[in-house]
Amino acid sequence: MQASTVQSDSDIPQELCVKPLALVGVSGLDVVNNAVHKSIWETFSGNRRIERAPVLFKILGNAQEFPIVKPRRTSYDWYIPKGILKKNWMNKHLYEIPAVIVIFYDLDWNDPQWNEKMMECASRVQSMRAALEGRNTRLTIVLMQNSPPLPQGEDSLAAEKAAALCSSCDIHSQSLFVLPHGDHLQGYAVRLENAFYEYAQVYYQNEAKHIKSHKEHLNKNSHQYLFVRHQFKIAFLSEMRQDNHTAHKHYTNAYNNLLDIRIVDTNALEIRTIAGFINYKLCRLLFVLNLPRDAISQFKSHIERFKARIGFHELTFEHYAWLSKQYSVFGDIFDEAVKLGLPAVQTQHPGIYYQQAAQYCTQRKKLCHELCTTVATYPQPDPLQGANNMEFYGQRPWRPGKLTADPPDPHLESSGIQALQYLEKQVNHSSLIITLYGLAISQYKMYRCPRTRRYLVLQMADEYYDSNDYGKALTLYTHMLTDFRNEQWWDILSRILEKAILCAYLTANVQDYVALALEILGANIKTPLNEKRRIYENLMRILKKLIPFGDPKLSQEILQNAIIHWQPVFTDKRFNLTLDMYNMIASVSVKARFTKKTYEVNQNVILEIFIRSTCPFPLTLTKVSVTLTLQNQNLEYTVPDLDEYSFNFHKDEVKKYVIEFLADCKDINKDIHIHSVNIFMGNLEDCHLNLKYPPFVEVNRNHPELCHFKLNSDVLDFDNVQLITQATVVPRESKLKVEFRHNNPALLGEWYEIEAIVTNEELHDIVDLKIEVWIEEEIANVELSLQPSDKEKKLNLVLNNSQTLQSGEEIATNFFVRSNLVCKCNIQSKLTYVLNGDKRILSIKTEKLPLVVVEPFEVSTKYLSILMDEIDKFYVDEEFGIMSYVKFTSPWPIIIEDTSLDYLFPVIPAEKNQSSQIAGKMFNKDEIAAELRLANCNKANIKSTNVGNYTIKWRREGGHGASTTLNVIGLTCDWLAVGLKLIVPAHGFVRTPMIVEYRFENRSHELIRLDLSMEASESFMFSGRKQFSISLLPVSTRTLQYNLTPLYTGSVVLPRLGLTISESSENGPPVIRQDQLNSLIYRTLPTHVYVMPQLRGEANLPETLKSSENVAVIG
Amino acid sequence: MAVCAAIIGKDNSSKFFVTLNPDEELHFQYKVLSSLDIIEDKLATGTKGGADTKELYLGMLLSLETYKIYGYVTNTKIKFVIVVDSTNVVLRDNEIRSMFRKIHSEFADIVSNPFYIPGEPIISKNFTTSMKNIMTGTV
Repeated sequence: MQASTVQSDSDIPQELCVKPLALVGVSGLDVVNNAVHKSIWETFSGNRRIERAPVLFKILGNAQEFPIVKPRRTSYDWYIPKGILKKNWMNKHLYEIPAVIVIFYDLDWNDPQWNEKMMECASRVQSMRAALEGRNTRLTIVLMQNSPPLPQGEDSLAAEKAAALCSSCDIHSQSLFVLPHGDHLQGYAVRLENAFYEYAQVYYQNEAKHIKSHKEHLNKNSHQYLFVRHQFKIAFLSEMRQDNHTAHKHYTNAYNNLLDIRIVDTNALEIRTIAGFINYKLCRLLFVLNLPRDAISQFKSHIERFKARIGFHELTFEHYAWLSKQYSVFGDIFDEAVKLGLPAVQTQHPGIYYQQAAQYCTQRKKLCHELCTTVATYPQPDPLQGANNMEFYGQRPWRPGKLTADPPDPHLESSGIQALQYLEKQVNHSSLIITLYGLAISQYKMYRCPRTRRYLVLQMADEYYDSNDYGKALTLYTHMLTDFRNEQWWDILSRILEKAILCAYLTANVQDYVALALEILGANIKTPLNEKRRIYENLMRILKKLIPFGDPKLSQEILQNAIIHWQPVFTDKRFNLTLDMYNMIASVSVKARFTKKTYEVNQNVILEIFIRSTCPFPLTLTKVSVTLTLQNQNLEYTVPDLDEYSFNFHKDEVKKYVIEFLADCKDINKDIHIHSVNIFMGNLEDCHLNLKYPPFVEVNRNHPELCHFKLNSDVLDFDNVQLITQATVVPRESKLKVEFRHNNPALLGEWYEIEAIVTNEELHDIVDLKIEVWIEEEIANVELSLQPSDKEKKLNLVLNNSQTLQSGEEIATNFFVRSNLVCKCNIQSKLTYVLNGDKRILSIKTEKLPLVVVEPFEVSTKYLSILMDEIDKFYVDEEFGIMSYVKFTSPWPIIIEDTSLDYLFPVIPAEKNQSSQIAGKMFNKDEIAAELRLANCNKANIKSTNVGNYTIKWRREGGHGASTTLNVIGLTCDWLAVGLKLIVPAHGFVRTPMIVEYRFENRSHELIRLDLSMEASESFMFSGRKQFSISLLPVSTRTLQYNLTPLYTGSVVLPRLGLTISESSENGPPVIRQDQLNSLIYRTLPTHVYVMPQLRGEANLPETLKSSENVAVIG
Repeated sequence: MAVCAAIIGKDNSSKFFVTLNPDEELHFQYKVLSSLDIIEDKLATGTKGGADTKELYLGMLLSLETYKIYGYVTNTKIKFVIVVDSTNVVLRDNEIRSMFRKIHSEFADIVSNPFYIPGEPIISKNFTTSMKNIMTGTV
């Protein structure tokens, strides 16, 4: 029919849309037969990237004909233009009249038949020139040569021959080119191409100048069209030579000139069409010139100007088609600019224009329905005859070139209108609209407008609905539901649902129909009650396998169609439908929860299911079940059907169902999740609905806590049900009684006995009892053992005990713990057993035992001189006493079994018998035991001497023996050259002489001289040297003896011995200093001696010096 | 005179919607919803800059063929939207601003009402009347 052949006036013609490129004609290439020619042609025409010159190559035949040159007009006085823009003009310049013609010719400079070939070439040029008939097209020759060219000026033969060729062809020497087709063809081609492009630019500029020169001949009254036409042409030619600024200037002029033309009925279409064209060019150029704001404002003012110019009332749809096209085309160029890097924003992007285009297109459709429904036939004769071959753009085919404002022939006019209306009726508007919406949607998506996009999708769906494509409409509607649901725009949601359910009905999509119906029946949906009732009844019909009734508003025809779709739906015997209610806010809502987070294995797991119906009409469920997941395994439980009313729901009724079941022993420590709640409606046998609910629906709510303030009539308070959708099965609580008996605190280093007493207070016997104990914090210094010995120490212990225990029976078992650290720790115990009741149930009991470890005693040591004074230094070979004090801190009495001191060299014991002085004694808290040992140090040491290890073997009363070893650190040890010792009896008697002996020892290898003085004493008479110079030979001992006769009783002062270093001693470093001597005396010589009263009778006198021995005694 | 006013919650759900012509309500709902895209975008980009800008008025969001849509966001992300007829040239930016301020104070009153639960749609005759008065400029 005509519809497809008639080009719509609102369309932008192809020649306007292409990017104008300079046209270069190519002649003399035989691309079919000659491989070299073919490769040359492909180098030129193929691979046109942006960096290549903006040139279009066209192959010209040998007998090419060009459009005829119109005769030059000398005067425009009598010329009346019939239209604004000729349809063929752009095409002519784009594709037919080349700016440059290139004649390719195979000719080497050294060709043997040079002359003949030169003549042939000249004749070709000549014939081409003739074909051009005086057009200003530039003719150029390219010689294709085999040999590579020599540098310029060196090849005199070439220069000569070139000059000859130029003259014989009558072309300028600069129009002759050479193309060696060996290597680097691409590079040569690019250079040639640029040369052609330069010539083309010159050509187009001259053409433009030529057109400009017409201007002076024109006058404003009769040549208004020509003003537009000429400016357009200049602009177009400028574009062809890529001068966008000039092009923009002239297009603007053309547009302004166009606006000056008075619009009448006869030229309205033409002016609108041309305005659209020029505007298109303008906007596009503005985008190219990076002036997007100007482009948008140009477009807006353009629309503003022409929006109200509707034209013929009967053809209003044409106007909207044009408007729609304007918008969509602008959207296209905008989008194109964006793709080339123009940044667009959320409020200004191509999508807006596509959307507007779609809206105008919708109006066009509406008007088409209004205006064209009456047109049934295409008028004869065809008033649109020759519509595609019109001379000018935008003219009515039935009155071409008619310029006068005379009223047109009314008959012809009306038949033309009728024809256009008829054609309009054939247009598939919906597909146009949907395409535009599609474009807009993708743009809005890009510019982060999800809501606007959704709105457009809905409009698109409406359009699908209008074009009776209910399936697609339904898909779009249902996809949009979730988002609107989430944002709770109930009004919009209601409207979508209503539309969607219509589509579902019309496509007999039961699944969607039921889902939508359930949602519509919910409280949030604002659908009128009578409508809800209708949908409710239909839902009930479906449950009875009956075809639902259609919307009475739909036409009979459509309804019948729908019923045909419905018929096969219920033919199957069983009709079961499962709906996933996830993400839906339906009229029946469900919440399911556990009553607590953990269930013991012997308790019932209790599950509560709340069901609320917000449907305004009663609903009846047939079955409610719940699916639980437990480690990849699904469990299903059904709510017991108590009575016939338990599953009936009235409006806003909430019911609670409880499911109880016993968890399996093997599921201990596993989680149970509520996977889904299934609600069944209808007849379970052959026609039912299975609604699969998640345990709860996430509601987008700001302040859930505030919901408690809501006035709520339902007792169960559905909205505020706190959800626990996951529960853990835990072992049952044990009724075993575990008691630990021990004497707290434990003492450091002992094997501490703990007795565990387990009493079975369960109702049943238990078997497989296992008791494990371990230290909670894993302290390495705390050890556990079953025996009070080091052999079996462990960190984790399994106790020895009988494995079965009858109800009420008690067992005791013990274990030991030893800590080598003063600390507080916890001993954990775990009792695992199986309760041997009706069912074997694994049970676990844990018990914690806090343990405190304290020290049993503290040991301190003091060092004494032989005079029992505390010393701060040892001296080599001088005896000293080690006094060990043991202070008992344990609350429990402690028995010392033994103590010993293991000396370490150089300390050696000074006694032969080393038995402990405190062994076998028992001590209470805060008591101190002390023992003294005598020792000698053999070696000087500036550091503290390590005396040895002090070992105490002890046990608590009734406990197990333990041993504590401590290192005893002594004092520093000095060496003295002189040793001094006084040997005196323990006591003397009054007036009974006694001998005292001073022993001097020289430990050095030098002679030591000392001056000795013995002070007189009141308490004694004594004989011996009073003042004496004594020489001590190296490494020798000298003894001085004195006979003392005490005069008084009591503790009397001994005569004081004074020692000074003899002045007569030799020079050199003294082996001993005076202060050392003084302290030696102070340290070693006792100052007092006890004198007893004279004994009665024959006393056993102490030894006195016999006169015979008294060699040294001084009288 | 505004033709439509809306209060939209933090979660972008409609809390209150009034139009002078009740038949156009659905139509305006779509428009307001579209403008939410721009509000969201402005909020998303706006928060990157100053920590809390005191300016609650967002200015004109959309200028469509027939309507202009203005927006305002409270500190608690409650959005107010006003739709004005494009042909209306009487309403300047300042008037719109003061309109929003009045709506804000009305809204504050509603939230202070102990019987209103924040986050629920506002259903109050009184509120509707005062909103209409603000829209028509009779206050």
